[in-house]
Amino acid sequence: MATLETPSALAPRHPFSRRRWSWELLANLVARNLRVKYQRSALGFVWTLLNPLLTVGVLIAVFRYVVKLQVPHYWAFLISGYFVWSFTLQALTAATTVLPEHSHLARSLPLPSETLITATVLSRLAEFLAEMALVLVLLTVFHHQGVPASYLWLPVLVVLQVTLVLGLTLPIATLSAFFHDVQHALPIALMVLFYVSPVFYPASLVPEAARGWYQLNPFAGLLTAYQSALYEGRAPALGLLALTAAEALAIAGVGYAIFRRYRGLLPEIV
Amino acid sequence: MPSSAATVVSSPRSSERPAARSAMAEPAIVCRGVVKHYYYYEHRTTSLRELFRRRVLRRPLHVRQPRFALSGLDLQVGHGEGVVLLGRNGSGKSTVLRLLAGIYQPTAGEIEVRGRVGTVMELGAGFHPELTGTENVHLYAAMLGLGRREVAARYERILDFAGLGDFISMPVKYYSSGMQARLAFAVAICVDPDILLLDEVLAVGDQGFRERCMERLRRFREAGGTLVAVSHDPEGIEKLCGRAVWLQAGQVRMEGPTAEVAAAYAASAHGEGREGG
Repeated sequence: MATLETPSALAPRHPFSRRRWSWELLANLVARNLRVKYQRSALGFVWTLLNPLLTVGVLIAVFRYVVKLQVPHYWAFLISGYFVWSFTLQALTAATTVLPEHSHLARSLPLPSETLITATVLSRLAEFLAEMALVLVLLTVFHHQGVPASYLWLPVLVVLQVTLVLGLTLPIATLSAFFHDVQHALPIALMVLFYVSPVFYPASLVPEAARGWYQLNPFAGLLTAYQSALYEGRAPALGLLALTAAEALAIAGVGYAIFRRYRGLLPEIV
Repeated sequence: MPSSAATVVSSPRSSERPAARSAMAEPAIVCRGVVKHYYYYEHRTTSLRELFRRRVLRRPLHVRQPRFALSGLDLQVGHGEGVVLLGRNGSGKSTVLRLLAGIYQPTAGEIEVRGRVGTVMELGAGFHPELTGTENVHLYAAMLGLGRREVAARYERILDFAGLGDFISMPVKYYSSGMQARLAFAVAICVDPDILLLDEVLAVGDQGFRERCMERLRRFREAGGTLVAVSHDPEGIEKLCGRAVWLQAGQVRMEGPTAEVAAAYAASAHGEGREGG
């Protein structure tokens, strides 16, 4: 065509290769998700914060005054890890619906499903980062009264967290396209995961004998690392961090393999 | 059910073409023996409880029959050619477009497509009702594969073609369906594809807009663009597509100059209509 502006367009290309990764599309989808969520709501981000803040408030009340966990500055401990958990919860829950929501689209355009799935995780990540900014302000002002060097670990932990959650999101989205059970099973699995992960209690309270097993849960390692860096103001234990990173990579690898095996079918079946 | 995927053998890509031949000399689209089957399920296991029960009882997980949407399609479209696909509902026309666009994978056979492909399967499928026209233009263009700078370069042209005036800054949900179609078509055509896949989308919109689309498509064709269209109304598209391919039950029943094929198709459809009535 005469007005062609991209010479590479004439290169031979198999149609499948066109369903390729696109950062441009990813950025647009993330912007869309955030815009749709916040554009027409006057309180916007406050709504997003309200749910976790209420939960945090209830947990603080219960574990300071009723159960009386022996954790000094319990509020600071709780907010160091809670938002990591709520990010995980919301990203994994959204994974079960993202493909059906876009089924119309997936049949009319060669959209890569991985871009759609990643976009849901990343738009949630944007909210998480905003929440984290608030957490950092609170901890800096009221807990540490200063900026501990351990905050520098935060980018590493965020990358680890995204790897782990994406690694779970891809197969969950894929399998929920095949089995409706995933939608029913996921809330139960997440409820169990909430209790076996150190969200509202520190991993140090787990009996010594069981801690080895306990720490095999990658979320245990991740949350403990967040709590070290933010609440304690200390660098995370490197051994546990390495284990968690290895697990996150393994989960991402297996998750991507599952997704890759069935992705060709996804536009047809959702 | 995952195990069903194992039966789908996708075609390996064929890159072993003689390098000496220039890209332009080769056809834009080649389909060789393309088979696509969907399964028609009498029973489909969609829950884990059933999966478990059927494993224990050694029952088959799925009772299904492949339904061939395409059974051995051979098709060649040269650069700058216009082809219209004719056929009754379910004859495989849309499947051909989806395979060419890379939305579906073929069960067997080879597909080669050379050039940037623009796909207009359903107008406005990528639009989000809450976003404004402008925001949707950017989103839809990204879905069609354009980069930010490419969109910026085309933005004025898109607005110009859509002709929506002030509506462009309103959420798309306030648009009439004709207006949505105009905006979507404007984006799709301004992608400047080498190959345009068009699935019966010009039925929407008012007379004036349809004429502008036809005019735009005519210019696209004159500039050497390749067009593969699906239509139930061959007369409207005859000027754009010199060749027609009549699909029946997933195979080419007749192929040739549009007027001839369309006449035969019309006669057959008419005859079947009478038999049925």
